[in-house]
Amino acid sequence: MRLKLWRESEAVLFTLPALIPLLIFWLGPLGYIVYLSFTDWDFMSPDKLFVGLDNYSYLLTNSEFYRSLKVTLLFGLGSVIPTIVGGLALAMLMNSRIKSSGIFRTLLFSPWVTPTVAVSIAWSWIFEPEVGLANLMLGWAGVSPIGWLRDADWALVAVLIVTLWKSIGWAMVFYLVALRNLPSDLLEAASIDGANSWDKFRSITLPLISPTTFFLSIILTIQSLQAYDQINVMTQGGPAGSTRTLLYMYYQSAFESFNVGEASSIAVVIILICVLLSGVSFLLGRRLVHY
Amino acid sequence: MIRYLLLAVIALGTAFPFYWMVISGFKTNDEIWQFPPTFWPETFLWSNYVDAWHAAPFARYILNSTGVALAICLFQIVNSSMMAYALTHMKFRLKGVLTSLILVGYMIPSTAVYLPSYLVLSELNLLDSYTGLIVSNCVSVFSIFLIRQAFMQVSHELVEAGQLDGASHFRILWTIITPLVRSSFAVMVLITFIEQYNNYFWPMLITKDPDLQLVSAGLRSFFVEGGAYGLAWPQILAASAFTIAPLLILFLFTQKTIMQSVNITAGVNKN
Repeated sequence: MRLKLWRESEAVLFTLPALIPLLIFWLGPLGYIVYLSFTDWDFMSPDKLFVGLDNYSYLLTNSEFYRSLKVTLLFGLGSVIPTIVGGLALAMLMNSRIKSSGIFRTLLFSPWVTPTVAVSIAWSWIFEPEVGLANLMLGWAGVSPIGWLRDADWALVAVLIVTLWKSIGWAMVFYLVALRNLPSDLLEAASIDGANSWDKFRSITLPLISPTTFFLSIILTIQSLQAYDQINVMTQGGPAGSTRTLLYMYYQSAFESFNVGEASSIAVVIILICVLLSGVSFLLGRRLVHY
Repeated sequence: MIRYLLLAVIALGTAFPFYWMVISGFKTNDEIWQFPPTFWPETFLWSNYVDAWHAAPFARYILNSTGVALAICLFQIVNSSMMAYALTHMKFRLKGVLTSLILVGYMIPSTAVYLPSYLVLSELNLLDSYTGLIVSNCVSVFSIFLIRQAFMQVSHELVEAGQLDGASHFRILWTIITPLVRSSFAVMVLITFIEQYNNYFWPMLITKDPDLQLVSAGLRSFFVEGGAYGLAWPQILAASAFTIAPLLILFLFTQKTIMQSVNITAGVNKN
């Protein structure tokens, strides 16, 4: 009995160095933010006023909130889907033992390693409307110049381009690993049976790499909900709110308008979206993913 | 052959923004505002790089970031390996709960709790200090994952053999298991270092003192204030270039290890 108790407490001892910070900086704040979302507070006044569901009802009648929700959705779809498709396409291109593929991999992966703030500054220069590289290239293709970051119709596209530039090479490396692990005898057998490349891709490769696709789509979705650096450097949510995601709106209402209650309710919405998506993906994963 | 060309074009296109950043940093102010832009500067103005380096304390910023990132790595090595050891080689009641807690932690974006974490740090009087920055980042669910993944590969018999010899769990962890999974620790340290060196949002929120700023925040304030929002583009691009340089060099030397992280993380979803 005593031995058992000792074993138990020793295990607790081993988990504490990680558990204490997790409780203080993650689990605690998670509970705290739910509480804050029911209050009205400005960081300064000594009391936090309990207002019940007011913040939520305000949020749900606020057109800015719906706009941000829409931007978040567009940003999510616009970053996750092209990253997955692009990453897979690049991995397929690279899979057939190409000469110097190591160099290609290095070049394609390098954006992921570099600080988002620094590369976003460089991209702001590329998107400069008057003398920027982006408009020069459009000119070569005979397209008239675009205002990019200054144009509410294009700013999100510009931010997405940078986001994709950063993540496609990263996704590619995941797919390269998955493709390398494909059973070659299965693909050969299919070839002997007269299957063409598209058939093989659709009915063998795609199902077999589905765990990777599944994993990437979850991670990329969470990443898209967290995107901040490139938006802060390039557009600060503008012009006219066209790049203000929910996370950016949360940041602005907390640290620019000092509206803690409203900000917390936005954060709770973000967390709920994550919980919902993980739940859905968990169920989907069980049905659709082949291990 | 077509594949090869296509890949070459895409790979060079991906690297091009880096080239553009470095090369534009050398241009004169007149040349950078010229349209169409030049792909090779007429004269190389090395002084842009020197000016930018002195216009803001970039050496200090880079040192700040490196130091903070290394301290965070050190803490994460210790607590991730202890937690991972408990989760893989010890028996205790809360094991299942802890494992699922960490799985859920992976799903919920930490940025969403920045506001309450900020308040917690301010309660602890740790705002505007490296202690606050390091302590609040000293655990990463991702690192625990990575190390747990590696520890699961280590046979349990090895641990039992150690116990029969009378070794304590600490001893088994540091002298038997850790050396076996060195490469996973290398992956963890590199990924954590890169992530922390590049970290921007959280450090920017909690450190207001300019001397304490990390490199991303320092660069950003140079972009906004010192660079007068885009009036001194050559210097701004030069500054961006030397912010990026340490990481690109690190990446060139350690890319095999960094790419390995994919092998390990990809395994996460199978458990």
